[in-house]
Amino acid sequence: MIRGRHWVAAWLVAFLATTWIVYARQTAAIRAARELTDLRARRANLEGHRADLERRIRTAESRAVLVPRAQARLGLHLPSDSEIVLIPAAGGSR
Amino acid sequence: MAKLAVRMQVVQFGVFAGLALLVARAAQVQIVQGRRWAEEAKAQRTERIVLAARRGTLYDRHGTPLAVTQETYHVGIAPNELRDPAADGALISRRLGLPSRSWQEALRKRYAYFAGPYSALEVQPLRTVRGVHLEAVLNRFYPDPGVARATIGRLGDDGRGGSGLEKTLDTLLAGRSGAAVVLKDRAGREYESPARVIAAPVPGLDVVLTLDAELQEIAQRALDDALRRMDADGGDVVMLDPTSGEVLALASRTREGSARPSAFTDTFEPGSIAKIFAAAGLLALRRVTPADHVSGEGGKWRLPGRTITDEDPQPSLTLADAIRVSSNIGIVKFAARLEPNEQYVMLRDFGFGSPTGIEFPAEAGGRLRPPSEWQRPSAASLAMGYELSVTPIQVAMAYGALANDGVLLQPTLVREVRGGSGSVEGGGGATGTVRYRHRPEPVRRVVSPAVAGALRELLRGVVEHGTGTEAALTNFPVAAKTGTARRVVNGRYAAGEYTASFAALFPAERPQLVLVVKIDNPHKGSYFAAQTAAPVTRSMLEQALAARNVALDRARLSTAVPRAVAAPIEDDGGVVPYVVPWPYHPDSAAVGARRAVPDVTGLGIREAVRALHRRGFRVALRGWGAAEHTWPAADDSANAGSVVTLFAQPSLRVAPSAPTRAPSSPRRPRR
Repeated sequence: MIRGRHWVAAWLVAFLATTWIVYARQTAAIRAARELTDLRARRANLEGHRADLERRIRTAESRAVLVPRAQARLGLHLPSDSEIVLIPAAGGSR
Repeated sequence: MAKLAVRMQVVQFGVFAGLALLVARAAQVQIVQGRRWAEEAKAQRTERIVLAARRGTLYDRHGTPLAVTQETYHVGIAPNELRDPAADGALISRRLGLPSRSWQEALRKRYAYFAGPYSALEVQPLRTVRGVHLEAVLNRFYPDPGVARATIGRLGDDGRGGSGLEKTLDTLLAGRSGAAVVLKDRAGREYESPARVIAAPVPGLDVVLTLDAELQEIAQRALDDALRRMDADGGDVVMLDPTSGEVLALASRTREGSARPSAFTDTFEPGSIAKIFAAAGLLALRRVTPADHVSGEGGKWRLPGRTITDEDPQPSLTLADAIRVSSNIGIVKFAARLEPNEQYVMLRDFGFGSPTGIEFPAEAGGRLRPPSEWQRPSAASLAMGYELSVTPIQVAMAYGALANDGVLLQPTLVREVRGGSGSVEGGGGATGTVRYRHRPEPVRRVVSPAVAGALRELLRGVVEHGTGTEAALTNFPVAAKTGTARRVVNGRYAAGEYTASFAALFPAERPQLVLVVKIDNPHKGSYFAAQTAAPVTRSMLEQALAARNVALDRARLSTAVPRAVAAPIEDDGGVVPYVVPWPYHPDSAAVGARRAVPDVTGLGIREAVRALHRRGFRVALRGWGAAEHTWPAADDSANAGSVVTLFAQPSLRVAPSAPTRAPSSPRRPRR
């Protein structure tokens, strides 16, 4: 009789242990999924931020913005070819 | 009692029959129909979803992204789930840019949906708000929407390429969608549990275009300014590298501001810019000598059925004069020495009458009729550039053949196809292995190098002493031809309507750039190409020369000291590869030798830049950290003094300081 109860208890413990393992694994998986989702969101956010900054930099660097400002504020002008001196590639000489 | 026993038996039978029915039904459901019900149950608690593939990025030749795919969001709001409807509502409406009325309407709904799409930045503060449900979708963005819009094209409603290069390259860019199974609750909402991925999405390939974003901006701005100044109906600008057939810039505009890909799709009668091809036939077939003269007829020459006139009458003309002053009478008289078939074959060999084969949908082939369909004045008309319809890209390629010593190349818009990463990472630029790299593709030899050289000399005369002086630069020789042609409207030549065009080779010796400028129907000021399209060309050349990273080989343009170029570079420990001779000698330009690009992968930025400088290259830096790769790639050859773009990534481990690795394979010249 006692032996039978032990068997029942052993089965119960085994069942609870198995259930706990399954529960723990699922909990960990859901937590990992949440973290993954958060990381993806963070990456998307950073990518969006970078794209936005790159776009703003490119706009600020563009001729449409720079040329009129350089002309108006600094009195510069687009050079004619006679004002452009290209420096020759002279290889190894210093 | 007997009655009671009977009743009991009936009840027992009933119960038994009921149980039997239950068992039978259970057997039917579980055994006979088991598979069907199992599938139905599975369908109720799981859902198969499509995992969208990230579309490949389009870059310009220096790695500037022109079209990128980014994650964006649709936003769903469940008003009854909001903890603080007033505060949350204010935040949501502010982030989504909703007017208060729309928000009030949304609050009255059980579930409000805002398609957006909203960027990650816009929805970031909403992620923690209860009742806000974000649905991520991949969306196509064009960081600078105005740049080469017609050439790049756009996506259709189905997310596939709808026009332009997005359409042509769709199979490369699209990638392959994946699939996954997710669990759902009773209400059909997806559980947060991880999806079971059946097939992972395969991202599309990245494509590096031949376009140069800076030259493109120069071309677009110059064309916009010209159209506004001249009050013209529209125009096109094409710039390409004649040695590789790579298209560097393409701008097309109409008066209304729309950007149609007319450089590929719209044809026009080229007028005098086609005279050089009649000259090519005459020189190639030796039907004319430099000393041959024809009479200028006092500027007016009557032929049966038509009168040919010159704007600049000359008493007598050589072929060089006829090209220089763009004499209709001169070129028609000389072209009469060609048989119709010879004239036709020469034009056809320069690529007229058939599409160039560039990677663009719906490219027009133009019109060149065979001699059997010619009428009496056709030979004269063709010599002057009439009875022939061409696209700007065809003209550019034909002039490119003159620049390329007589070899016609196939034009291209695709420089490289890269795969493996599928996303924009690091400091920008395409990563991943190179799947395809463009090499010049000759179509045919049209004329000999000697004839091509002679034709370039004729074109040089146009800029130095002829109709193209407005395009002349002080220090750099330019070869070009003007063309002013009457426009056909509704099948007839319209009075007072002209197409002004200009085709130029820069510089005249060993040209690096072919420019074609076309202005449709200028209304203000002169309509002649000499006063309209030629100055636009000069302006673009000056801007290109002054720009930092445009695709010009400045070493070849510069005034190099020949023996300095020949000095061994590898022995040089310094980092100063350029020397300025003074005083300045404009005519001493020497050709920079082609050199192998060193492999600097893994080196620190400073060391990598130093190694590239030591080889005589200029360096454009993208990103920071350790050197990842270069354009042109390691072991490829490039002209000394040209720009090598160095891509760096912070994640790469910097290799210990070591001398630059020698190229692993023999140098491979591009041509």
